[in-house]
Amino acid sequence: MAPKYENAVKQPGKLSPRVKWLRDYYFEGNNRKWNNEYLAYTTGTPWDVQFDQTTYFIVPEMFTYMSPFTASFKAAAEVIPVDDDFWKKSIVERKAIFTKKAVTEKCPVEILPGDLLCGARFNMVYSMCLDKKEQKERNKLVKAARADANWIIQHGYGNSGATSGHVIPNYAKILEHGFKGEYEYIEGLYNKLSDADKNGEKGAQLKAMMTACLMPKELNEKYSAYCLECAAKETDPKRKEELETMAKNCANVPWNPPQNFWEAVQALWTTHFLIMSDERYPGPGVSFGRMDQYMYPFYKKSIDEGMSEDFMKEILGCFWFHCNTVYDAQIRVGGNQGITAGYGQLISLSGMGKDGEDLTNDLTYLMLDVIDDMSPILEPKPNVRIHNNSPEKLIDKVVDMISKSQGAPFLLNFDERSMAGMLREGKMAGLEDKINKDNVYDYASVGCLENTMVGNDRSGTVDNNLNLLKAMELVYGNGKDMAPYYDDLSGKWSKLTQDGPKTGTLAELDTWEKFWEAYKIQTAYIVKKLVDTYEESERIRFKFNPTPYLSTLVNGCAERALDVTRGGPEIRCVTMEGVTYATTVDSLLAVKYLVYDEKICTLEELVQALKDNWEGHEKLQAIAKNKCPKYGRDDDEADKLAQLVMKTWSDEVWKYKTKCTDRQFRPGMLSWNYWIGSSFILKASADGRKCNQFLSNAICPSNGADTNGPTANANSVGTALGGSGEDGDFDGYYNCLPNGASHTITFNTSLIADEGHKEKFKSFIRGYCKNGGTALQINILDADVLRDAQAHPQDYKHLLVRITGYNAYFVTIGRELQDEIIARESHKGY
Amino acid sequence: MRILNIQRMSTEDGPGLRTTLFVKGCPLACAWCHNPESIDPKSHVEWIGIRCIGCQSCIDICPKHGMTLDEEGMHIIPECPACGTCVKECPTEALEMKGLERSVDELFNELIKDRSFWGEEGGITLSGGEILMQYREAAELLAKFKEAGVHTAVDTSGFCSREALDAVIPYADIFLYDLKLFDSEEHKKFTGQNNKIIIDNFEYLLTKAKRIWVRTPIIPGATDTDENIRGIASIVRDRVEKWELCAFNNLCKDKYERLHLVWDYEKSSLMTKDRMNELVDIAKAAGAENVVWSGMSKREE
Repeated sequence: MAPKYENAVKQPGKLSPRVKWLRDYYFEGNNRKWNNEYLAYTTGTPWDVQFDQTTYFIVPEMFTYMSPFTASFKAAAEVIPVDDDFWKKSIVERKAIFTKKAVTEKCPVEILPGDLLCGARFNMVYSMCLDKKEQKERNKLVKAARADANWIIQHGYGNSGATSGHVIPNYAKILEHGFKGEYEYIEGLYNKLSDADKNGEKGAQLKAMMTACLMPKELNEKYSAYCLECAAKETDPKRKEELETMAKNCANVPWNPPQNFWEAVQALWTTHFLIMSDERYPGPGVSFGRMDQYMYPFYKKSIDEGMSEDFMKEILGCFWFHCNTVYDAQIRVGGNQGITAGYGQLISLSGMGKDGEDLTNDLTYLMLDVIDDMSPILEPKPNVRIHNNSPEKLIDKVVDMISKSQGAPFLLNFDERSMAGMLREGKMAGLEDKINKDNVYDYASVGCLENTMVGNDRSGTVDNNLNLLKAMELVYGNGKDMAPYYDDLSGKWSKLTQDGPKTGTLAELDTWEKFWEAYKIQTAYIVKKLVDTYEESERIRFKFNPTPYLSTLVNGCAERALDVTRGGPEIRCVTMEGVTYATTVDSLLAVKYLVYDEKICTLEELVQALKDNWEGHEKLQAIAKNKCPKYGRDDDEADKLAQLVMKTWSDEVWKYKTKCTDRQFRPGMLSWNYWIGSSFILKASADGRKCNQFLSNAICPSNGADTNGPTANANSVGTALGGSGEDGDFDGYYNCLPNGASHTITFNTSLIADEGHKEKFKSFIRGYCKNGGTALQINILDADVLRDAQAHPQDYKHLLVRITGYNAYFVTIGRELQDEIIARESHKGY
Repeated sequence: MRILNIQRMSTEDGPGLRTTLFVKGCPLACAWCHNPESIDPKSHVEWIGIRCIGCQSCIDICPKHGMTLDEEGMHIIPECPACGTCVKECPTEALEMKGLERSVDELFNELIKDRSFWGEEGGITLSGGEILMQYREAAELLAKFKEAGVHTAVDTSGFCSREALDAVIPYADIFLYDLKLFDSEEHKKFTGQNNKIIIDNFEYLLTKAKRIWVRTPIIPGATDTDENIRGIASIVRDRVEKWELCAFNNLCKDKYERLHLVWDYEKSSLMTKDRMNELVDIAKAAGAENVVWSGMSKREE
């Protein structure tokens, strides 16, 4: 999207010519001659299917494209012939063999101008490697699962589906002993199997994983040879030398452990992108973990050997470029759509060590410089871990970077609150041997902000997204939908059926206590509904879609001889993300206020107003919007209910595990963009929202409800997560959501106008660490926001303008003066 | 106490990040006042047109039958006792009560909520109107914060009794002190009072207060002359930690409209950056130290 106010948009920093070229080239998008578009391959059987639609069940917009995508990949797929005995092998072995063939025999080997890293093409969609009977069974299961997944979307429950990525692989072990070490380790495990096991599922899994270990080796041998070919033709002596070094690098890594920083980055990149090839999905939250920690020894060694930090920045600049090329997968679908969405290959920086000490190092700062120079750019996504002992230098750097952009080019992740959540997970899931006080500091985030452990944990962090608000609709309808729903695909209106339990007619719900009980029962029902829906796509993946290469990088899979898709990881969870939280809390507060406390209307009247989408009930709607208490204002009573809502739904989530893969459900609050999409499905809500008006985002208060400003907002979020107390799970902190919760706050530019104000902003960040949530996205107010506030004053009641002695809410001042402030904001001219 | 509002995460009311309590009532009536709703010590009801949906619930419920709505907006009779019935009834918060009664304990519990964010420098600020018009409660509130180990600031016009100052001095870590006009006649003309008490209190405070920041609003045609700044410089000298020249802004026009008042400065233009820098230089040349300027200057495109 082209910014409306160019001069308000941050420009990239000083980049070396090669990195600048690569970055500029990337942003040419569709106009590029080269791209990393999907390559499609098939075994050539007539029944073969390549596109895995189940991985897109959580993307409601995709449902209409599923059949055309399936058909067009089938038409486009190039045949890779397979041996006769291919079909006699297990599915997992077939998958490993075919993936390796596609990657090492077919995928083009290319080097971009000036590039210091090998591995450019990797986005692939290829054969399911199933025989006729298997494919037929899979197709049948997919058809049924798709219908159910679509049903929950169309009825406003949310969405559910077993999707790819969202894991922090054990990259550190590859840097330590290479795939060679991994191969030998798996071979050792295989040799210890009984003969029966060797010939059974376990043996097949380990053999497939050994095949997978050879894939990066064989690919980089090809790259090494190609680098030498290029070097021979190269006339520029400097570039020639680089290509020769790259040939050497690829000959060594990732099969053997890297010997310096350049090799380490090459090893990391190759190991990383092959996961996306293996999963047939571009960049879905496959995250790097604590990169500044495990890369530090290589940094140190290369510094000692005389490599300059500037050259390291060039290597990392190339790495940044490649991470962004994941978006090329569907680059020609919908114009440049490929470069506007977010995939989330996340890097965690800084953070605390085992005894609470800070682990920021020189590489942390080097990487922050790279982020600063490269941004604005989407990938990889950095999260900076902040804790109570974070050094001044780091916070200074963070605030400095924020003040240069309209918003932070990274998310802040807060250690104490996050670690309290992870320890809670250890207790609730019976995983205390895997998550405990001695190792919890080594957690990191995947995707956007979802906290997991590293290298042994797959927690399906975006697989289930539950609209909490749906439970209220079912209360109003006594277990039926409040009103019929329209199905976009079939073009039909739904019939009202008894989907949920009967929890009482409106007349029977004559006290708040009875209403609350009904809400709890319907919440339990909707959680179970998603759990059951998830089992369908999870089972399909369990039976038919192993990822043996990824399995080599997640601890537990080799040891248990079980694929990562079959419950192999040591920590196996699946996350249910609560969506519409604040809208739900505010709606409950509104019901309590309007019906039971102030008796402004009856429950029947309120439900009628909701059925009428508030039309003809404008006064009641205004009271609901303006007079009812709201979450996000640090109001003790409202936040107490918020905490109860949080506890109620999250306790429900912990009750379930997947049946086929033994994965524990755990709660979180990442709303991605569902709060927008679902707002067109879910009916009007008691907080005064009409259907089609946005729902609340993740753990944020409803739009415009945080009238007491950022500190009150932050306090409410901390309280909702559990607050603090002597028995807190970590250092006095509680956190109901191990996954973490997405929180965004928008600040005035004036807050970072000068050095004095930056100090004050630092004070806010330190305060957030004590009282706030797990992760914070900081946005800085810009002229666009102010213009939107002019157009929609009802959504911006909280927007405060403060200029020395004067303060006023932006929307209450006259048009002319608003224009003046906007003009100043777009010129940063206070 | 009779308060106007509480501003959390305030960056403009003393060192660090602070929570500021604004109270109602001021003994001065500066012609340029940026928060005119704070002058009258009595509570009053204000109508904010943009929020009104015209439901007329307020008109129906007013016990004094004192409200009418026409094309110009809402009219509230001058005898309105601010009973708050209409404010409670209004579904859209288009009616706001200016002036709320709160006990010292209530205020303490509300103001302390942001403690985590204050860090080493920040804390609470008691501001106006004029906080020292309610000095007994102010002192009580400050004492509670000092007991809790919180940094405290008092923002005052200095137009108050010595008794009022003495009451708060032991509990105030810093004073934010306004010196507006050096010439006493001019001071009377623009603020309604001469400046003798203010200057005497300033001298007294210099001997008693832990820290002082002086603030001078730079108002076109009133306080922005060379002579005025030289005059104030002769009082301030090098005796305070900071002297801030706050550039005039014109954003409070609507506030005057809501109060049905005419504002003399409606058409005044903003100060230029050059002029503000010049005034700082004049102050320094006249012997003042630690002079800075802040606020909104004229846009230069």
